[in-house]
Amino acid sequence: MSQVVLSLGFGLVTASILAIGAVGFTIQFGVTNLFNLAYGEIMTVAAFAAYLARTTLHWDMWLAMAVGGLCGMLVSLAMSRCVFMPFLQRGTSQFAMVMVTVAVSFILKNVLQIWSGANFYSYQLPPEPSIRFLGMVFDARELAIIGLAVASLLGLHLLFQYTRLGKAMRATSDDAGLARSVGIPTSRIVSAAWLLSGLLAGIAGVALAMDLGTFDSNTGGSFLLLIVAAAVFGSVGEPYGAVLGALVIGIASELAAIISPTLKDVVAFAILVLVLLFRPEGLRSGRVQLRGEVTA
Amino acid sequence: MSAALQSYVATLLIYLGVNSIACWGLNLQFGVSGVMNFAFILFQAMGAYITAVLTLPKATAGSAETYILGWHLPWPLPLVGAGVAGAVLALAVGSFALRPRRRDFQATVMLVVSIIASTLVVSEQGWFNGNQGLFGIPQPFAGSLSLLPAGYDWFFVALTAGVALLVLFATDRFTSSPWGRRLRAMRENADAAESLGTNVRAESLKVYVAGGAIAAISGGVLVEFITSWDPSGWGTGETFIFFVAIIVGGLGNNFGAFLGAFLVLGVFLELPTYLPQLSNSNVEESLQSAAIGVLILAFLWWRPQGIIPERRRKLSRLVPAAAREPAAVESAASVREEKREPTTAVTREPAQAATARSAELSVRDLHREFGGVHAVDGLSFELVPGQATGLIGPNGAGKSTALKLIAGAMPPSGGHVLVDGVDVAGWPAHKVSRLGVIRTFQHTSEFGRLTVLENLLTAAPGQPGDSIGGALLGRRHARPRQLELLEQAWALLADFQLTAHADTYAGQLSGGQRRLVEIMRALMARPRILLLDEPMAGVNPTLRLTIEEHLRRLRDSGLTMLMVEHELGSVERVCDCVIVMAQGKLLATGTMAELRRNEEVVSAYLAG
Repeated sequence: MSQVVLSLGFGLVTASILAIGAVGFTIQFGVTNLFNLAYGEIMTVAAFAAYLARTTLHWDMWLAMAVGGLCGMLVSLAMSRCVFMPFLQRGTSQFAMVMVTVAVSFILKNVLQIWSGANFYSYQLPPEPSIRFLGMVFDARELAIIGLAVASLLGLHLLFQYTRLGKAMRATSDDAGLARSVGIPTSRIVSAAWLLSGLLAGIAGVALAMDLGTFDSNTGGSFLLLIVAAAVFGSVGEPYGAVLGALVIGIASELAAIISPTLKDVVAFAILVLVLLFRPEGLRSGRVQLRGEVTA
Repeated sequence: MSAALQSYVATLLIYLGVNSIACWGLNLQFGVSGVMNFAFILFQAMGAYITAVLTLPKATAGSAETYILGWHLPWPLPLVGAGVAGAVLALAVGSFALRPRRRDFQATVMLVVSIIASTLVVSEQGWFNGNQGLFGIPQPFAGSLSLLPAGYDWFFVALTAGVALLVLFATDRFTSSPWGRRLRAMRENADAAESLGTNVRAESLKVYVAGGAIAAISGGVLVEFITSWDPSGWGTGETFIFFVAIIVGGLGNNFGAFLGAFLVLGVFLELPTYLPQLSNSNVEESLQSAAIGVLILAFLWWRPQGIIPERRRKLSRLVPAAAREPAAVESAASVREEKREPTTAVTREPAQAATARSAELSVRDLHREFGGVHAVDGLSFELVPGQATGLIGPNGAGKSTALKLIAGAMPPSGGHVLVDGVDVAGWPAHKVSRLGVIRTFQHTSEFGRLTVLENLLTAAPGQPGDSIGGALLGRRHARPRQLELLEQAWALLADFQLTAHADTYAGQLSGGQRRLVEIMRALMARPRILLLDEPMAGVNPTLRLTIEEHLRRLRDSGLTMLMVEHELGSVERVCDCVIVMAQGKLLATGTMAELRRNEEVVSAYLAG
């Protein structure tokens, strides 16, 4: 039993990182309708940027995370402006666009791999005292990551419900043509979505690298699958569904790890399969989504 | 040639054969049907493993190699087993991965499957010997043929060529059959294909299974040659190498896939062995992977159809000469009509000839909600058989939604749709269309990279060769019905004055012409009720008159029609009676003249 509670604690940390990443993924998809498989590489680039800030500039870890977030924003915007938009304007079909994102992911991942010499890196963080809480054990850093996730999600909630930018994003995701016709500057809103999702990817990437202890050029790419599972679980384009997906998948996979570490991903995936069998468009399909009618 | 060189050439040829088989399989899935199988390498790997364990004898207890089966079967049974295993695996994966409608979701789910499968194979030592993999797999006939190594290599080349030819034969028959045409239509526009009677999920699954079996066979041949197989040989990245190959070679045709297998998998990946060795083999591998990314971008940018694009099928030359004579058109149409309905001796016009008897449609208390918004809110009406009914109303009144609900493009939240008394509410679109309820789309929905004639042919039900088995029977099996349909389609083209564009890709026509194609295509489906979603949208005034003229003639021929349209002049000229919707509800019905006198209608809509 105590083992279960302990794993629940790990699960919460994983779920927090997953939630930040999945919400970023889903917001960008919701607004731009593009399934970006290079999203994981934004996370990896951010993790490396934070590493540089920390080891060469000797910055504080949280400041380094901010650098990672900023870097994520830049990479995300650059990706959309320099590659995705031109292809879309050329009339590349929806499924060819997935190949485009795969190609970008290949290029980024392998350039990073050459540059990093295929080595593992670590932020060399000092050990923190552990805190016991309801039978779960966290260190201060893990608690901070959970707190960060809660704060980001709350911030996003406020953004979507109460700010002009957030409402404009929802309108654009619902019907870009209509949004444009009522005077919403949709191209700026789309850029804002890329920036926001890049920021979240960056933070998630650095948090993931901190949580894992070591990372390399493949770290973000492999984590992307969990992110996609969480996002698809809750219907892609639906931020609240993504959070739900992150919680379920994060916690379930850590609980499965009690039995066998290899089961971790298998369980995450089994949940996804079950959801797809019964709700092909995800659990929260048919509700108000960031992107209204995904399939039409 | 020296023995070493001979062996090298033979090896290259065998790889070319194996990769061609794989590329043909992937081309059937992605190039022809648009199914993005991001788990492709898993099927090749599964074929290799199954071939290995069917060829190997039972694993001896206590040995370092553990695996399942070990049936020690003679060639070619292990390959057959591999094909079956690939098909079964594809059936299992496809049954959930093909459930989301978006191809990119499907692809990602398959990517996840591929990665999880490789984790499982590594961790489950007992299946295929985990990370070490299987080795020492006996080559076919290796013991019974007394050949020198080089001689055996050439024997294996012949063996590979044999299997490759079989696969080529099957995939060629698939792509050139009416079934292949349906698959291409599905690739171009899944929703439109669905509305014309294609069960997109079921057809995708069939293609997935066929391609999975072919991939597995390629893996089987490969492992019989290299005699060992382990998880390092089938990383997820390998899938994309096959995608690059068919994108570079050319999508949708077997020549392109073959060229891609040669250029990318042969030349591009073999080339580094001739370049000076880099200090670090990791760097070399990374460079190669990055280059694959660049290749994808470059081709999708400059040459998205690949080096050898899909061939445009010029079907007009197959149309019987008699039918192509302008004078013969009408008589041919009437003759056909008489064959089917001997009682109607009246000569009908060709456009009407394609239509069958009308059905009755009634809608009762139909509802559809979108997150609290009632798009259609208790709508009830009945169509008068044989009449054209207009459906008008202000923007957002729920007209298009109502049409989609009737056609099965989306399920209603509640209510009934009765076609000849059968409640079809909640039926999928392909099933509703089989009852003769055919819908056209608000946005033009032609199959862009199918010719106009092909667009028309896809809609016709009951075509021999329009199934996986029928396709294998070849052209001769399909031909009689195809000729009949071609004749029928040609008559329609003549009537709509589009015969000059018979062999043009529908995507290259003007907006108005595409509308005409869509209407003709709907007529080929032998509709009993035609649902038209804004047929005049984006059509120039001249062509609008033409479309009106055709719709009027269809009405006069007794076809039941329901037409959503904003152009009230057109509605007045085409429709016998009109239904007005506002805020999801029925507001009024009557003739256009009556409605103009109805103040409620005028204030809700007509004045504004």
